[in-house]
Amino acid sequence: MSDATRPQRDASHRLPLEGVRVAEITVVWAGPHVTQLLAEWGADVIRVEPVNAIQPYSRYPERIMDEAASRALAATGYTLAAYPDFQAGADPWNRNPSFNSHARNKRSMACNVRTSAGREAFLRLIRHVDVLVENNVPLTIERSGITYDVLREVNPRLIMLRMPAYGLDGPYKNYRGFGTHVEGMIGHHLIRTYDDGTPDEMGDTYTADALAGVMGAFAVASALRSRERTGFGQQIEMPLAEAFLPALGEYILDYTMNGRDSVQEGNTHRSHAPHGIYPAAGEDQWVALDIATDDEFAAFCRATDAEALLGDVRFASADARWTYRKALDAAVSSVTQRFDKEALFHTLQAAGVCTAPVHDDLDCTRSPQLAARGFFEELTIEGVGTHRYPGIMTKWTNTPNWIRTPPPRVGEHSEAIYIDLLGYSRVEYEALIAQGEVGTTYPPDVLARGVG
Amino acid sequence: MAELLEGIRVLELAQGVAGPHAGKLLAEYGADVLKVEPPGGDESRAAGPFKGDIPHPETSALFLNLNRNKRSITLSLETEEGRAIFLRLAAEADVVIENFRPGQLAACGIGYDVLSRERPDLVLASITPFGQTGPWRDYRGSEITLQAVGGPLHSNGTPTREPAKLGGSIAHYHCGVAVAFAIVLARLRVEQGGSGDWIDQAVYEAQAGFRDRRAIGLTAAGYAGMSSHRQRPASRAAVGVRPAIDGHVNILGGGSRHFGALLDLIGRPDLKEHPDFGKLVVGYSPAYAEQVEGSYIAWLFETPKKEAVAQAQARGILGGAILSVADLLSDEHYRGRGAFEAIDHPVAGEAEYAGRQLLLSETPRPPARRAPLLGEHNDEVYFDRLGYDGAALARLRGRGVI
Repeated sequence: MSDATRPQRDASHRLPLEGVRVAEITVVWAGPHVTQLLAEWGADVIRVEPVNAIQPYSRYPERIMDEAASRALAATGYTLAAYPDFQAGADPWNRNPSFNSHARNKRSMACNVRTSAGREAFLRLIRHVDVLVENNVPLTIERSGITYDVLREVNPRLIMLRMPAYGLDGPYKNYRGFGTHVEGMIGHHLIRTYDDGTPDEMGDTYTADALAGVMGAFAVASALRSRERTGFGQQIEMPLAEAFLPALGEYILDYTMNGRDSVQEGNTHRSHAPHGIYPAAGEDQWVALDIATDDEFAAFCRATDAEALLGDVRFASADARWTYRKALDAAVSSVTQRFDKEALFHTLQAAGVCTAPVHDDLDCTRSPQLAARGFFEELTIEGVGTHRYPGIMTKWTNTPNWIRTPPPRVGEHSEAIYIDLLGYSRVEYEALIAQGEVGTTYPPDVLARGVG
Repeated sequence: MAELLEGIRVLELAQGVAGPHAGKLLAEYGADVLKVEPPGGDESRAAGPFKGDIPHPETSALFLNLNRNKRSITLSLETEEGRAIFLRLAAEADVVIENFRPGQLAACGIGYDVLSRERPDLVLASITPFGQTGPWRDYRGSEITLQAVGGPLHSNGTPTREPAKLGGSIAHYHCGVAVAFAIVLARLRVEQGGSGDWIDQAVYEAQAGFRDRRAIGLTAAGYAGMSSHRQRPASRAAVGVRPAIDGHVNILGGGSRHFGALLDLIGRPDLKEHPDFGKLVVGYSPAYAEQVEGSYIAWLFETPKKEAVAQAQARGILGGAILSVADLLSDEHYRGRGAFEAIDHPVAGEAEYAGRQLLLSETPRPPARRAPLLGEHNDEVYFDRLGYDGAALARLRGRGVI
């Protein structure tokens, strides 16, 4: 859709964060997700990123893969680093799917807070922003001399969100990790392990990043709302671990009330059966079923020509089905594997059964429901091409919203930010370019050195 | 100093996890949240796990966790009188959160059109499995089915088995945070003179925008024409979850920039001399991968999980231990930081709960208030606020309105 054909937003339905400016020094997934959400709802987000060093795991994997290596990795199941058509191109840092899935609507300012020229520019930027978001190891922020007590002297209205993995103090303060490591450390990995399996079978998940991203956006919005009333900014400390713990609160209580330690639940449910992921026709095709009542179970059996199950005493009541759930799973699997997952989904939903097909990424891009709601948006990125991207996850009925600008190329907006916003002279700005502090690519020696 | 969301008045009609989680976050940071429960109570009161495993509407851990800091009244929206009472309450609310089926609120005569007519500043947040529109709008959804169709469930678990869901009710908890964020944004706009709105949150779309691999996977699918899928643990060398002497650890070794440090740690610096050393794991020869993995496993078999992680972290290697809830409750890091909060409850007794998400430098946190008993605040709302007398309240109760 072109801008001319977009639905209109009137002044009373403007994007709520229009006029709010956000700086970010974020890496990997959780921090960039916070600013993605703030940008989607109108904030001017400036990504502060060095061009004389490579930020680990941000625009860049640890190594740039050639096509063969990239295809080999994707063949093992990991596509999340796949460049367009598996081609790294001349500027892989602008072609990374992980980066390009969060950075829309943001601007990029080349600036390394670890150099003196970079720190000076950063402190000037802090005067002009409402919010700073960072998710580095605390040591990095301390060494850079940009802790909240320093920055509040520069801008007392600043809201600074800090998202370390485990906290700004305590024994794990400087522990490093991705979301998947945090999930082990807060009990999620064990709970999601197959009930009859072992934790090493489960692979990595990054739920901690997903939760912390939205929680961080909630925290910033709440602090902005509070600042409107009080006039003060503040520091918000939100470790990934502690942002996740309350989402497992019922497991914590089961232990503190009942002394029951967490168990491997996998696909099992506390009372429903059948409940799980069952095979459908075809290779690696599955359906999810969640059946609680006798009526639902009868509806399932009738809709799948499996009335014989209704006569089995082991499956005659909800309680019996739960007790004999392993036998039930086997019986249900032998039924579901005869059906196409999409056909079964519609048939069973029409019969009132709670079910859904398991959708891999390609299936999800073809969902008629997401298409009808306009979830995916087409975006053209210079040098990357035109592709469809997941859109905005919350709809406001009277405030149509869409991706406004493509992800920034590294350093793309430096000139506008240094000169127009921060008041650098042309001569000063060009000196920063000459020093290698500002640019739109990484110099060869930095690329040769790699991440770090 | 005032709490972040002080002064925001919320009516929570929503049951289960997502809506109550949005209400929980708003209440935790200062909003006044009035839970409007059907006379039988929020469905999470029946979910458990229960204190002593004895089902009781006041001791469900799921309910107790999700409904701290709120008040509760009972009200049946299935009755004409109940809807009239609801409209009086809504007239004094800033936010309404609901999770009825699409169109059900409107069919009861209390849809967004009615609610916003006199109150354009009202924020109505509606949460449904698939959204208010589209061909699947009337379909049912639950935690496992919405993870399956919306989220990255297909790539969780092992390739020789069925895919596995994420733990607990994570899709609905996550969706609740998205709703709380949207509500605060909408209030920010209202408080600056703008309009309210009707927020239409599908759990499905929260999952499709989920930054646990899904949003990235959808982007990569557009780039490469391929989907991610479940990976074999054996395709790795000293990466991922492995058994230690007293449990499991997840340490990022093979193929990473800290691999050399890991080889030093496990006493195999000689493996740094191998031609495969600097490669990605997919480039390791089987013999090299086997040597790396074998040495790593042997080291882990002699090392407790938290100790292995501490030694790895001391060398800059990323990783964590696989902890159980009992491990967490005795962990000096979490205990020292006050990540748990003891709360007393007249029926469930005193217990430690998962505490705050945020530490705010300028906004002290008041002690948490326990979840309300079913209809605990009927008297204060019906007598004091709505002006009913005892006889009128008895008649409402007799007619099943409250």
